[in-house]
Amino acid sequence: MSRPATVKNAETLRDVAGEGYKYGFVTEIESESAPPGLNEDIVAFISAKKEEPRWLLDWRLDAFRHWRQMAEPHWAKLRVAPIDYQAATYYSAPKRQNAPKSLDEVDPELLKTYEKLGIPLNERAALAGVAVDAVFDSVSVATTFKDKLAELGIIFCSFGEAVREHGDLVRQYLGSVVPPGDNFFAALNSAVFSDGSFAYVPPGVRCPMELSTYFRINAAKTGQFERTLIIADKGSYVSYLEGCTAPQRDENQLHAAVVELVALEGAEIKYSTVQNWYPGDAEGKGGIYNFVTKRGACRGANSKISWTQVETGSAITWKYPSCILEGDNSVGEFYSVAITNNLQQADTGTKMIHLGRNTRSTIVSKGISAGRGQNTYRGLVRIQPKAENARNYTQCDSLLIGHKCGAHTLPYIEVRNPSARVEHEATTSKISDDQMFYCRQRGLTQEDALSLIVNGFCKEVLKELPMEFAVEAQKLLAVSLEGSVG
Amino acid sequence: MLEIRNLHARIADGREILKGIDLAVAAGEVHAIMGPNGSGKSTLAGVLSGRPGYEVTEGSVTYLGRDLLALGPDERARAGVFLAFQYPVEIPGVNNMYFLRAALNSVRRARGEADLDAGQFLKAVRAKLKLLEIGEDLLQRGVNVGFSGGEKKRNEIFQMAMLEPRLAILDETDSGLDIDALRMVARGINALRGPERSIVMITHYQRLLEHVVPDRVHVLSGGRIVKSGGKELALELELTGYGAYGDAA
Amino acid sequence: MSAFADLEPYVEAFKARPEAAEPAWLARRREGAIRRFSELGWPSRKQEAWRFTDLRPLQRVSFPPAAGACRASAADVSPWRYPAAGHRLVLVDGAFAPELSVIGDLPKGAWLASAAETLRRRPDLLEPALRETDTIGAQPFVALNAALFADGFVLALEPGVALDRTIEIIHLGRAAERSSQLRNLIQLGAGSRATLIETYAGEGAYWTNAVGVVAVGAGAALRHAKVQDEGAAAIHLAHNRVELGRDARYESFVLSLGARLSRHDVHARFDGEGAACGLFGATLLRGEREGTIASVVDHAAPGCVTREYFKTVASDRAHGVFLGTIGVRPQAQRTDANQLSKNLLLGRRAAIDTKPELEILADDVKCSHGATVGDLDDAALFYLESRGIPVVEARRMLIEAFAAEVIERIEDDVELRAHLGRHLARWLAGGAG
Repeated sequence: MSRPATVKNAETLRDVAGEGYKYGFVTEIESESAPPGLNEDIVAFISAKKEEPRWLLDWRLDAFRHWRQMAEPHWAKLRVAPIDYQAATYYSAPKRQNAPKSLDEVDPELLKTYEKLGIPLNERAALAGVAVDAVFDSVSVATTFKDKLAELGIIFCSFGEAVREHGDLVRQYLGSVVPPGDNFFAALNSAVFSDGSFAYVPPGVRCPMELSTYFRINAAKTGQFERTLIIADKGSYVSYLEGCTAPQRDENQLHAAVVELVALEGAEIKYSTVQNWYPGDAEGKGGIYNFVTKRGACRGANSKISWTQVETGSAITWKYPSCILEGDNSVGEFYSVAITNNLQQADTGTKMIHLGRNTRSTIVSKGISAGRGQNTYRGLVRIQPKAENARNYTQCDSLLIGHKCGAHTLPYIEVRNPSARVEHEATTSKISDDQMFYCRQRGLTQEDALSLIVNGFCKEVLKELPMEFAVEAQKLLAVSLEGSVG
Repeated sequence: MLEIRNLHARIADGREILKGIDLAVAAGEVHAIMGPNGSGKSTLAGVLSGRPGYEVTEGSVTYLGRDLLALGPDERARAGVFLAFQYPVEIPGVNNMYFLRAALNSVRRARGEADLDAGQFLKAVRAKLKLLEIGEDLLQRGVNVGFSGGEKKRNEIFQMAMLEPRLAILDETDSGLDIDALRMVARGINALRGPERSIVMITHYQRLLEHVVPDRVHVLSGGRIVKSGGKELALELELTGYGAYGDAA
Repeated sequence: MSAFADLEPYVEAFKARPEAAEPAWLARRREGAIRRFSELGWPSRKQEAWRFTDLRPLQRVSFPPAAGACRASAADVSPWRYPAAGHRLVLVDGAFAPELSVIGDLPKGAWLASAAETLRRRPDLLEPALRETDTIGAQPFVALNAALFADGFVLALEPGVALDRTIEIIHLGRAAERSSQLRNLIQLGAGSRATLIETYAGEGAYWTNAVGVVAVGAGAALRHAKVQDEGAAAIHLAHNRVELGRDARYESFVLSLGARLSRHDVHARFDGEGAACGLFGATLLRGEREGTIASVVDHAAPGCVTREYFKTVASDRAHGVFLGTIGVRPQAQRTDANQLSKNLLLGRRAAIDTKPELEILADDVKCSHGATVGDLDDAALFYLESRGIPVVEARRMLIEAFAAEVIERIEDDVELRAHLGRHLARWLAGGAG
C-alpha cells in the first residue's frame, strides 16, 4: 500500500515479481514501553501517559472489567495459537522529549522509516490530495496537511490530540457504534488503546483530499490497539484510507483495532483499507493476528457508508466491517478482496443491519485461496421489522488456486419484513485452465497470467478503491500470490 | 521455420489422436491443413502451442532450430508462435487493451525491443484496428467478454497483427464468420504475409483459402497427413469431399 | 425448570418399557442411546444448528411414547392415500396397523415390512438402522429415537431388484401429548431401484420423531418423497441419514404443510464416485408455525453432483428456516454442487432465516449457491388483477406458482408431481397468506 504509485507503474506487473514481503525491516529507535502484562495499573499507566481526562480513564477501566469477564471467541473458522495476554506489551512509543510541534521536530529515524515505506511525511514531498496520520506502534507520529484541512473546519489528528483538543466530540461519539463490551477484542481495545486517528468533517463540507492513516507495528512483543473515530456531519463527505505494515518477526503479534464511523443526515463516508500486515513465512511462522472490529452507523437519513478492503497480509484476519443502517434511505456497501496464501487464514465479511425504511446494502466479496490458505466469507444481512422496502444484494465469489487450500461461504440472511428483497449469490471454482493457457499463449508468464486473471476476478472491488490505492492493491495481489502456481 | 517429424500425441483418456505427422513449413510460406471433423486438426494446433492436456509420445517439432516441445506455452509465444484460438477465451474483469499491452511488451522484451509507452501503444493499436474494422469500444471491454462470435475471431487476428509472430497457427479461424467478416479476417491475414513469417491455417472448408491463397495444402485424416499438394488440392476437396480419405478417426 | 427435569419423563419411559425379546445388540445400543440423550439434553439455541429453532413447544409438555395408543379407520387413512401406490404400510401412533396396510406382490429379493416385524423375523436386516453414531453422535433426538423406537418401516432390496410400483408409508398421529418414535430403514443393493412416499398426518398435540437411515448402493436409484401435513398443534421432527455408493442416484422431495413446529434434517454423504443427489422441497407456513429444512451434503468422494433447491413461504406470523451446508472434502475433486434457497415472506410479522453454506477443501470444483427473500412480485400481481382476477385469488395463484416450480423439478413422474400439486392446492384452499 503506501506510496500511491503512478498508473504507468501499475501496468507493469513484472515490477513486483520476486519482491516478497518488502516491509519486513525493523527501525532501530529507542522506545518507551509499559511493562508486559495487563491489569488496571497498566490501563491507568496508558491513560496517564496520554494525559487523559478522568472520564476516559473510567471508560477504559469499565471496558477492562468487562473484558476480564469475557472469553475469547472461537466461533470463527480459524486455528489460532493460544494468545498469552499477560505476556504482551500494551504500550510502546518512540521516546521523545516533547511532542513535536512540526515535522521538523519529528525524529529523523521515524521520517526515514516512513520514506522507506513509501510515505513521505514531508508535505512538499507528499502527494497532493492525501493527508496522512502516521501511527508508529502505539502513537501517532505525524499528521500532514492539518492546517489546510483546518481552514475548512475539518479536524484530522491523532486520537490523543482529539481527546485533548476536542474532548466533547470524542466523548459524544466514542463507543457509540462499537460499545466497549461489544466483543472480546473490542473490549480489550477499549481498555488499552493507545492512539489512532480522529476525523470530523463539519456540515456540508466535502473533504478535498483523501484522509489517510498509515499504521506501522515496529516493536517486538507489542500489540497494536489503535482506535479510529470518524464523524461525518450532515451533508458532508470524506474518503479515508488506511494502510498497514509490520516487520518480519517469528512470533505472532496481536493487532486489535476498533474503527467507528458515524454518518449523520446526508453524509457519506468511504473507508478503504489495504491491509498488508506481515503474513508470516511460508511455513506459517510469525505474522500478525489481525482481530479488528469495524463498524459504521448511518445515523441520519440519506447517509452512506462504504467499506472497501483488500486483505492480503496477516497470519489471521478476523474482521467484519459492518453498517448499521438506521437512517431512512441510508446505504451500506462492502467491497472486499481477501487473499490467503501459504498458511494464512482469513475469516472476514460484513454485517448489514437494516433498521430504517428504504435502506439498501450491497456486498461484493472476492476470496482467493492459494497454498494451504483458508478463506471464509461470513456475512449477516438482517432486515428488521421496521425496515420497509429494504434491499440487499450480495455476491460472493471464491477462487481456488491449488488443491490444499479451502474456501468457505457462510452467509446468514435474517428477514423480518415482507417488503424486503434480499438476494445472495455465491460461486466457488478453481482458476480456469483455459484462461491461463490463453494468457500464456499470448506470451505472459504463468505468474503474470495468474496475477492478470486474479486482478480481473477482483475488478469489481478494486474499482471502488481510490486510484492511488487501486494501483498498489493490484501489485500487492500479485506479490501475495507468489509461489502459488508452477 | 517449422519441422514436424513423426509426431504422435494422445489425449488425457489415452486415445492416440496424432499418429505420425510429418510437415515442414519454410519461412514465408502459407500452409493449409484441411480435414474432416475428428481428424486431429485441433490437436495439432494444441500440441504446437503447448496447450495442457496432450501428451506427445513420439516424434519431434523443431522451430527455428529449437525443440519447440521443450518450451512452455508462454515461452513459445515469446519465441514468436501465435495461436488464433478456435474458441477464444473470455476473461472477465481484464481489460482488452491492458491485456494486449502486457502481452505485447512481454513479446517485445523477448525480441530485445523496448516496451511501448501508452502513446506509442495506442498509435499502433489504432493502425491495426482499421485493418480489421474493430471499434475502439471493443477494446475497453473485458477480454472477449460480450463479443459476438465474429468479433472474437477478428480480435484474434487483431492480436496477431499486434504481436507480429514468426509462426501463426490459425485454428478454424473461418468458422462461424459471415462473408463480410471472412473478408476482413482474410485481409488481416494477407497483410501479415511476408518472407519472414509462416502461417499454418487449419480449416474444415475451402472458403477461407479463396481469400488467403496457400502455398501448400495438406489433408489430415485419422491423425496423419494423407495427401499434400498445391492450392488446387483444396478445390479438388471441395468437389469430392473428404470421403476419399477414409473415415475420420 | 431445569433441563434435567425436562428429560426425566423420557428416561423414565425408557426404564418403564415392557420387557421385549430384543437381540442383545439392540438392547446395548438402546442403553447407550438413552445415556447419550441424557448427556446431550435438549439442543440449545447457542448451538449453531439450532439457533433458529424454537423448541419450547416440545419442552413445555412431555411426550412419552405412544405406541399403539389409538386406532384409526380406513376413512382416516383415505384422504392421505397416494393413488399410484402399489404397496401401503400404515402406522398409527408409532405402531404398525396391519388392518389398514396392503403389501402387494414383491419380487424376490425385496423386503418390505414394519420395523417391529422385521425385528421379529429378520433382525439382521434391521441392524444397519442403528449405528454407533446414535450413541455417540451430537443429535439428541436421534439418540432418543434409538432408545425408544418401537416401530417404523423397512425396505430392503437385494442387488438388481427393481420395484416398479411406488411404496407408500402413511403415519397417523392421534394420541395427545404422546410421541411416535419411528425408525425407518431403506437399503438398496447395487443396481436396485425404488420409489417411496412417506406421508405424515394426524390430529392433536402429539410429537412425531422419525429417523430414517437410507443406503443407496452402487448404481442404485431411490426416489424418496415426503408429505408432512401433521395436525396444526403437532410437532414433527425428522432426521434422514443418506449414504450414496458409486454412481448411485438419490432424489428426495419434502413437501411440508403442517405441524406447529417442524424440522426436516437430511444428512447425505457420497461414499463412491459419480453419484448424484437431488434434494428438493417446499415448505408452506401460516399462523404461528415454524418450519425448518436443515441439510448437510458431504462430498467425500470425487465426481459427484448435488442439486439442492428449497422454497419456503411464510405468512401471518410464521417463521421459515433453511440451513444448508455443502461440504467438499479434499479428495472430492470434480464436485459439481448447487444449492438454492428461495423464500416468500408474506406476513408483516413473519420471518425468514436462511443460511446456505459452502465449505470447500478441493480445488477442481464447480460450486454455487443462492438465496432470495422477498414478497410476491408486484408487477405480476398487478397484471393478474388488471385481467380481472380478484387480489386474493391472484395472490393464491402466485404462491402456488412459486411452490409448484420446485415440484416441477421432479422428473419423469407425472403422478407424483400431480399428487404433490393436489396437496399444495388443498393447503392453499385453506386460506392463502
